[in-house]
Amino acid sequence: MTLRQPEAGPVSAAADAGGANAMFLSSDARWEMVDALAARTVSPGSYEPSLADVVGELTVRPLTGIPVALAALYAFWSIFTSFAGTLMTDGFMVKIFDGYWLPWLQSVWPDPASWHYFIFVGNPLADNSLEAFGVLTSGFFVSIGVVLPAVLIFYLTMTILEDSGYLPRLAVLMDTFLHKIGLHGYAIVPAILGLGCNVPAVTATRILETKKQRFIMMTLLALFIPCGAQLGIMMAVIPESVGIVFLCLLIGFGLFGFILSRLIPGENPEILVDVPAYHWPVKEYVAQKLWNRTKAFLREAIPFVLFGILLVNLLYLGGVIPALADLLEPVFVVWFGVPKETAGPLIAAFLRKDLAIAQLSNIPMTPYQLVASVVLVTIYFPCVATFVVMLREGWRELLASIAVLLTVVFIYGGMIHGIGILLGVA
Amino acid sequence: MKHNSRNTTIQRTGPVSRPGTIYSLYIGLLGLVTLGFGCADILIWAGASNGFSWGILAISGDDFFRWAWGGVVMVCGGLLLLSGAAHAATSLHQAAKAAVGVILVWVIAGTDFLAMLCAAIPAKASSPAFLNTLDGFLAGFAPPYTPALVIFPFTLGLIRVFRSAVHR
Amino acid sequence: MAANGEDVTTVLMIGNPNVGKSALFNRMTGANAVVSNYPGTTVDFTKGTLIEGNRTYVIIDVPGTYSLEPRDAAEEVAVRMLRHRPDATVMIVLDATRIERGLYLALEVMELGMPCILAVNMIDAAHEKQITVDTAELQRLLGVPVIPTTAISGEGVRSLAEMLRKARVADVMDISGRLKGDPPAAGGRACFGCGGCGGR
Repeated sequence: MTLRQPEAGPVSAAADAGGANAMFLSSDARWEMVDALAARTVSPGSYEPSLADVVGELTVRPLTGIPVALAALYAFWSIFTSFAGTLMTDGFMVKIFDGYWLPWLQSVWPDPASWHYFIFVGNPLADNSLEAFGVLTSGFFVSIGVVLPAVLIFYLTMTILEDSGYLPRLAVLMDTFLHKIGLHGYAIVPAILGLGCNVPAVTATRILETKKQRFIMMTLLALFIPCGAQLGIMMAVIPESVGIVFLCLLIGFGLFGFILSRLIPGENPEILVDVPAYHWPVKEYVAQKLWNRTKAFLREAIPFVLFGILLVNLLYLGGVIPALADLLEPVFVVWFGVPKETAGPLIAAFLRKDLAIAQLSNIPMTPYQLVASVVLVTIYFPCVATFVVMLREGWRELLASIAVLLTVVFIYGGMIHGIGILLGVA
Repeated sequence: MKHNSRNTTIQRTGPVSRPGTIYSLYIGLLGLVTLGFGCADILIWAGASNGFSWGILAISGDDFFRWAWGGVVMVCGGLLLLSGAAHAATSLHQAAKAAVGVILVWVIAGTDFLAMLCAAIPAKASSPAFLNTLDGFLAGFAPPYTPALVIFPFTLGLIRVFRSAVHR
Repeated sequence: MAANGEDVTTVLMIGNPNVGKSALFNRMTGANAVVSNYPGTTVDFTKGTLIEGNRTYVIIDVPGTYSLEPRDAAEEVAVRMLRHRPDATVMIVLDATRIERGLYLALEVMELGMPCILAVNMIDAAHEKQITVDTAELQRLLGVPVIPTTAISGEGVRSLAEMLRKARVADVMDISGRLKGDPPAAGGRACFGCGGCGGR
């Protein structure tokens, strides 16, 4: 072992600089002491990389890492659809809610023509819980039958990816692309979190350095990242066009990120990325995290779903939504090319976007109109909960976000309509 | 086997042993088949044919996500296997490339299996019961299978190569 | 010197990002903290309580930082927390596989004159990479308790909790003197020259 003796110089210099108890070294002197300490106490041994090390390294090299990222996201999505869609929602929940819960409520709730029947049970002729649109029918079906399994499996896969050490590697890999839209690699974390729920995602934008980056990320999150609840509903309502909707959102994410990064003044600094070693996730930690995240989500989500349906039903009863639909009709029909009834779901989207998509399925539309309106609802506005956390990050940013949002909805909605016309589908 | 595989896998240079050549051929063949299956997934999804079925193998090509995206992952897996095939038994770097390729195939096969499992547990939509019958559950695993599941058993042979490299 | 005489001692856990600090924190407090290995989750600090023997420690998980010259928001929070609690004990968590970066931070903290204890974490990962860290020698050189730990499995966490009471102020001058003067200690030598840490 070689031993590096520190020079006498730096220490005496330091002694001049400080008192007896609190003395401050220069950074060079400190590093010299560190070297001396390490030389005495650490013996490195001969280190040969193992297959696992080399495989780990290949996952951050672009040529091999991008296929791995594609596969990881594929697995993420596939596990999500198999568990939440096929097994839980279609396999069990639809049966429970449509076969037992809805018929039972419809038979015991008095007076199908009354206002309280309309609010709590919804359409007396509905044969499935999604389209009944009562607080106790659609509200419970959406929150427990669809959103709960979706969120559970989402957070499980997310936690495993994170705890195994793959997520930071994905961040390194995505860095080049994300820099083009004014962000850096770690923006992938809020982006993926946003696929579960925008609320923790907005909180996670704090890992980005500058105000500019946080603003871009928050706005893009609110605009183009559908949350877990929306994904679940999308799969239930428009399974055949989820791919196209996603494509529209992805293009929008890149395009408007690029534009925003050029319009907004500010820095986009490099970040020192720290990649921990791959390791097996610890069962207890995964379980604890999964529980914390699901618990926090449910506490926030279920009241909002129920309250959202209640409010929308009340607004319908009060005639507010039909009036708004009339008012905004020209914009929707001429500019976006969707039926005027979509105005209602767009108002509902403010409360919870997933509800809005469920409502859209009740309006007769062509496939183009359905895709266009689902994209619109997704980008249109964050739900109230997201709104609240964004407000917590600063009201000026929130107002700017809203301005960007309205502009983008207007431009992008028109663009999709234009492309639809060119392709002859609109 | 003449050479102890524990040693042959970490030697970066040295004579290519007979088992080494066999490993390379095997990995290369696996890569070609995976590549072919991946291309078939994408082509059938794109509308080149209305589904394909041969023996226990079937590619329905109905879903964008499964067949287009999954097909790209299979193509990448095949290419990685091919590029890692040469000297896979003697070069750690080559073995690692092949390992990444195999992992991609495993991801597709694993998610395909999970999809079968999740579809087989609940009873059919028309039946009033919640859980499937045992016969119905087992029938959910009957052929035909997706290409990744068909290849899967053949990739298990490679674990031997990789394990010797992991433990050295 | 060590912050005793009171019933409750505040312990600030500080260390580089990704040294398993949050995992160690959870092991010690069993608190409802989210463990994570991407930055961001520790920006909001976590607090937990540890009762060892007849003492109560309030443990605060400080955001990961590379130095006390802050470069981002999380590091700023870390520095601010140290400044606000000059009487607290500082537990410095080091990654055994990358000990130099942690030692740099440790020296910076020691220069503040706060009582310190070192946890050399991820000792299992170091063993896997055939890196050995002579914690006894490090303890002798620094003059503060140095405990090897593996947060994932929980090894060393108990003795870390027990040694918290022996945290003390390190004198950078003395460390420098020991580095210059003394020959490297042979393995298994008893502890001396460390201002009374009570041995191991």
